[in-house]
Amino acid sequence: MTVDRTALIGRPLRAATYTVSEIDVNDFLGVVAEPDFAPADGSEGRAEAASGRFAPPSFAPFVAVLGLLKTFDWQEDFLFDYRTGTAMFGEQAIEFHRPLLVGESVAISAAISDVYEKQGKQTFDVIEVTFDIKSREEGDLLMSGQQSYILFK
Amino acid sequence: MALPTIELGPMDRFDYIPIALILRDTNPLHLDRVYAQERGLPDVVQQGPLNQAYLYRYFTSLLHDPWDLLATKMRFAANVFPDDILTCGGEVLAVAPMEAGGGIVTCAVWQRNQKGETILKGEAKARIPSGD
Repeated sequence: MTVDRTALIGRPLRAATYTVSEIDVNDFLGVVAEPDFAPADGSEGRAEAASGRFAPPSFAPFVAVLGLLKTFDWQEDFLFDYRTGTAMFGEQAIEFHRPLLVGESVAISAAISDVYEKQGKQTFDVIEVTFDIKSREEGDLLMSGQQSYILFK
Repeated sequence: MALPTIELGPMDRFDYIPIALILRDTNPLHLDRVYAQERGLPDVVQQGPLNQAYLYRYFTSLLHDPWDLLATKMRFAANVFPDDILTCGGEVLAVAPMEAGGGIVTCAVWQRNQKGETILKGEAKARIPSGD
C-alpha cells in the first residue's frame, strides 16, 4: 500500500535541544582537522579552553543534522519504517546568523514545509523540513534553513 | 573565476566511529561492512555530514575568517566509501558590493570522488571584508 504523506505538510515537529559540547567538537576536530580551531588540550584548564571558543563552521551541518534528528520520529512524523526502508539526505540549506560557540546550548524548532513525490531510478518522497536554531540562553538566531529527506518507496 | 582545488584522502573507515558517536547515529550502514554489502553496497557508507564538513572546511579556508560564511546550499548526489579520494573545488559566480564596504561573494562549490562522480554540489555565500 502506498503511503500518502502530503497530509504531513505544515506539521510542526517537536522542540529539541542540543549542547555544542567540547567533547563533540574535539572528537570532530580529531577527524576533520581545522587549523584555526585547534581542540583544547586541557593544559589551559577546561573553563578557559571552553570560554568563548568558536566551533568551526564545518561543524554546523552536524548541529543541524543531529538537532533535526531529535525533532522527529521516523514512523510517527514521516510515516516511515526506518528499520526496513531506505532513507537518505537530500538537500540542506543553511543561513548563518552568528558563529557557534563551544559549550552553548541551542534550541531547534522545525516543521514539515513540503512533501512531494519524485521519480528517479526508484520512486521516492521528498520531505522538506524548515528549521531555526537559536541560543537557549539569549534566544538569538544562530542558524536557519531547510533540510530534505528522501524516503524511498 | 575558478577556485583552487584540493584533494583529500584516502577516506578512513575508522573515522566513521567518532562521527557516529557525535551524530548519535549508529546505523550499521556506516559501521558494518557485511551489513552494507548485504544491501548491495560495496562497503560501509561515509556519513553525509562528514562529506559536508570537508567541503565546508575547504570553502571556509579560502575566507578571511571562516565565520565570514553567510549561507550554504548543498545537495547530496552520491555516497563516499572508505579509501575514496575526494576533490573539492568551486567557482565564483557573483560578487556584490556592500554599502558598508567589502562585499558578498557567491560561489558554486562541489566535491567529487576519484572516479569524477559528484558527491556534493551547491552554493556557498560569504562576506568579503574591504581590502581583500
